Amino acid sequence: MGGPTPLSFRFRGREYPIVGERGLAASLTGSHPPILGRSIRYHRPRAPFCGTGFCSQCLVRVNGVPNTRSCTYRPAAGDRVVSENGVPSVEYDLLGLLDALFPRGLDTLHGFRRPAFLRGFYQRVIRGLAGYGRPPTPGASAPVAPASLLDSDVLVIGAGPAGRAASTRLAAAGRSVRLVDRGPLTAPPTGVASHPRTTVTFLPPPSPDRPFPFEGSAVDERGAARLLRSREVVVSTGAYDGGLLFPGNDRPGVLTAEGAIQLASGRGDAPFERALLVGGEDRAAELIDRFGTHIAAAVSLSTFGPAVARRASELEIPLYPRSLILEARGRRRVRSALVRPRGGGPPLSLPVDAILLAHRRLPNVQLFFQPGAEMEWSGEVGAYLPRLSPGGGTSVPGLFAAGEAAGFAAGAESEASGVAAAEALLASASSAAPALRPPTVGTPSPLEGYYTELLGAASGRGKWILCACEDVLLSEIDEANALGYRGLEEVKRYTGVGTGVCQGRFCLPDAILLLSALERRPPAEVGYIRQRPPVLPTPLGAWAELPEAPP
Amino acid sequence: MNDGPRDRYAVAIIGGGIVGLFTALHLARAGAGPIAVFERGFLSSGASGRNGGGVRQQWETAATVKLASEAVAAWRRFPGEFGYNPYFRQGGYLFLAESDDEVAQLDRVAAVVRSCGLPILRLPAERVAEYAPGIGLRSLKGGSFLGSDGTLYPFPAIWGVYEELRRLGVEVFLRTPVVGISRGEGGLLQLRLERSTISAPKVVNAAGGWSGEVSRLAGLDVPNVASRHEILATEPMKRFLDPMIIRLSDGLYLSQTMRGELVGGLTVPHPTGTVAGMPSSLAFLRRMGRAVVELFPSLRGLNVLRAWAGYYDDTPDGMPVIGEDPRLPGFYHANGFGGHGFMLSPATTRRVAQAVLGERTDLDPALFSPGRFLGAVRPGSVERLQPG
Ligand SMILES: Cc1cc2nc3c(=O)[nH]c(=O)nc-3n(C[C@H](O)[C@H](O)[C@H](O)COP(=O)(O)OP(=O)(O)OC[C@H]3O[C@@H](n4cnc5c(N)ncnc54)[C@H](O)[C@@H]3O)c2cc1C
Repeated sequence: MGGPTPLSFRFRGREYPIVGERGLAASLTGSHPPILGRSIRYHRPRAPFCGTGFCSQCLVRVNGVPNTRSCTYRPAAGDRVVSENGVPSVEYDLLGLLDALFPRGLDTLHGFRRPAFLRGFYQRVIRGLAGYGRPPTPGASAPVAPASLLDSDVLVIGAGPAGRAASTRLAAAGRSVRLVDRGPLTAPPTGVASHPRTTVTFLPPPSPDRPFPFEGSAVDERGAARLLRSREVVVSTGAYDGGLLFPGNDRPGVLTAEGAIQLASGRGDAPFERALLVGGEDRAAELIDRFGTHIAAAVSLSTFGPAVARRASELEIPLYPRSLILEARGRRRVRSALVRPRGGGPPLSLPVDAILLAHRRLPNVQLFFQPGAEMEWSGEVGAYLPRLSPGGGTSVPGLFAAGEAAGFAAGAESEASGVAAAEALLASASSAAPALRPPTVGTPSPLEGYYTELLGAASGRGKWILCACEDVLLSEIDEANALGYRGLEEVKRYTGVGTGVCQGRFCLPDAILLLSALERRPPAEVGYIRQRPPVLPTPLGAWAELPEAPP
Repeated sequence: MNDGPRDRYAVAIIGGGIVGLFTALHLARAGAGPIAVFERGFLSSGASGRNGGGVRQQWETAATVKLASEAVAAWRRFPGEFGYNPYFRQGGYLFLAESDDEVAQLDRVAAVVRSCGLPILRLPAERVAEYAPGIGLRSLKGGSFLGSDGTLYPFPAIWGVYEELRRLGVEVFLRTPVVGISRGEGGLLQLRLERSTISAPKVVNAAGGWSGEVSRLAGLDVPNVASRHEILATEPMKRFLDPMIIRLSDGLYLSQTMRGELVGGLTVPHPTGTVAGMPSSLAFLRRMGRAVVELFPSLRGLNVLRAWAGYYDDTPDGMPVIGEDPRLPGFYHANGFGGHGFMLSPATTRRVAQAVLGERTDLDPALFSPGRFLGAVRPGSVERLQPG
């Protein structure tokens, strides 16, 4: 056991160098995404997936603190990182037998009841299996940098094209603006106070009788608390890459687009050899630009747009339009993918070691419904979006929406929506602001028909995991339905789907579509996705230190 | 599944929380005739799907201790009886006192609990940590502990009773609010629904935090008030804490569920009454963060996963309201359960059913009857041990 070198951290007895801004998961990635944990219920292997700190698949223990998101955590010199929940190790885990022994699931609702005299024993076993890790080590996570109270006329949340455009316009009009972003926020707009690597965690409804009606909490990457007060808020929190349902969709090697980009950060090559790309539009094209010939093939659930088609033909990447993804095969990581043309046809096995999901973007809408904005189902996006007035005002006075979070397309359209939101705010909301069409409502989601067909085709030998945080199986949704439980609220509580640490980001959008098919009614009638605060799991210490607003 | 409701039932129950469901079950088992339960929202949408799952027998009033120990026995039988497992875990309840007044309160409680035959322990400050390793509260003056208290997971309890009701032919109408109550012909009570009207000789108000509203629909003035209470859960972790912990000074309660989450809350004053959305507040998260970190300094790095809120149905004396309203024959109360209606429900609802069936109950009218607020009977003692 040699001491740590000044610029390295330690993982499983080995020293790893700290390279620039590279995150922990990327630092641990060699030629494949590393197995960093095991799931709770079936002890399935877990490796980085989402790249945004949302999902539960890359949690490790850092310096005695469990559940650290290795995809977004930046290691510091001397850090001691261990993986948890593996017996004896997360790579070769004996409890992984649970996964093999219970192909149709472990019945936690009805099970463990008999014989009654064994219940105490069952309870001890279950409490030992629960959780991703042990509680924090005493003395770990000492108090962090001091908390602070930050006031401004306008708080702009999210520094993508929309948030930047809104901030620039508002600062030019003489408003004091604070711009916060979860990421590094490089080159902030001039005249704007910027707060990089800061997550707004909770924005309750405004109180109009206060000088600063909005009071929200935020936390920086080291856990320091911020109380943000403002007169108005622009939410431009962008979107994230959604998941896709197929057996094996939780296998190491299945990555969202952002997950792949994060794991590859700071290196020229790819964290895989040959990947199957899923998606036919701009996000998929972006991945071809990034990973080039490491993309072995591309499938689209519908068609391919011109951007992907052109790049694919240049690089001779085979394209499979209108396809079903039937299964990801492989035990501890992806070895092949089984795909089949929609409408019928022979399945095709593609030897790949990664599957990159770039087929849909889902808006980050928590900061709309937390303060009480009215939401409406957008079939086109397959998600709930804030109901907008022309220009970007929500139903909450003083709360404005812009960019992908509000359903606008990435890039130029988002940027324009940022300017429009700023104009609407300056014109004090309701008056005639430049009209930007709010997103369309009512069209069916492209995924609705896809899932109906996929479930009809139902092959695939692996487990259909709908919710990877809690290992909830698709068959459990069917069971709940057969017993008469209806709608997302009941099914969520009955099965546990969406109650894990990602707060349903990767399963509830699919659960809505699946229930819509099962219950034969439109998605918006099935239920509303109501993630509870905070936006991201936030340390108790950060809440304890949250400043109080002076009276 | 159910079609629309019939015109007439023997008993109509308003509210499909644990109290309404259990009441229906006892009535159905007693053969009370066609029974309907009307629930405004989805199953578990009220306090029954939002609570901390605590089950305790430490109370200031002997009547409550007796109901609670009967309920403990019922929760132990539940998995065998209903086919669902609420994971009732008897890890005990540990009360913490930090002032002489609170120590005196624990002494009073201990005397009552002991007189009911339960082996409660009164602990000096230095022994408290034996029951909750890692606890670091400097101001501690003493505690009490009863090992047969515990916690459960509310949802399987709801599913178990609900499915048993449907097997017994009880009709449970979800997403079906009762919007009006009036006296009809032949002594029947009429319930107006959104699309129809039904009648029944007996109606039970089991509407939890909305019971005051429902009583007023029937023209009855009652002292019940809804108070919003917030609660949170952390990310799950491996076994850390066995008992439910209650701190008297701020009403903090905290336990670790079978799933490994720490679940707890404390009292933050909010205006009474119900509001849309049942919002959480920054004040709650801040105070809860401080309280937990003060009790267990090592948990400061543990993440809060989600926060939510629900309504208590409070009465002026902290005791529930069970029985027929003397002003409106046929209208029965099963409400006013404050912050402990879930744990007591197997026992309280048996009495509700007895009252509806016209049988005598063992409940002291001075403590439980609706008449105690009307000058009909002299009110009895007050239950002040409200937290958790
Ligand atoms: C944060 C919190 C923590 C708690 N912790 C505990 C605890 O640890 N232990 C414990 O025992 N108890 C606890 N409680 C209290 C417990 O949850 C309640 O006492 C209990 O669930 C009450 O059950 P109920 O069936 O009477 O009410 P509810 O579950 O609220 O059910 C009442 C139902 O009536 C319905 N309704 C209302 N109006 C109408 C209408 N007009 N028509 C039709 N339906 C209507 C509502 O939709 C609701 O579903 C807690 C409560 C809260 C809020």
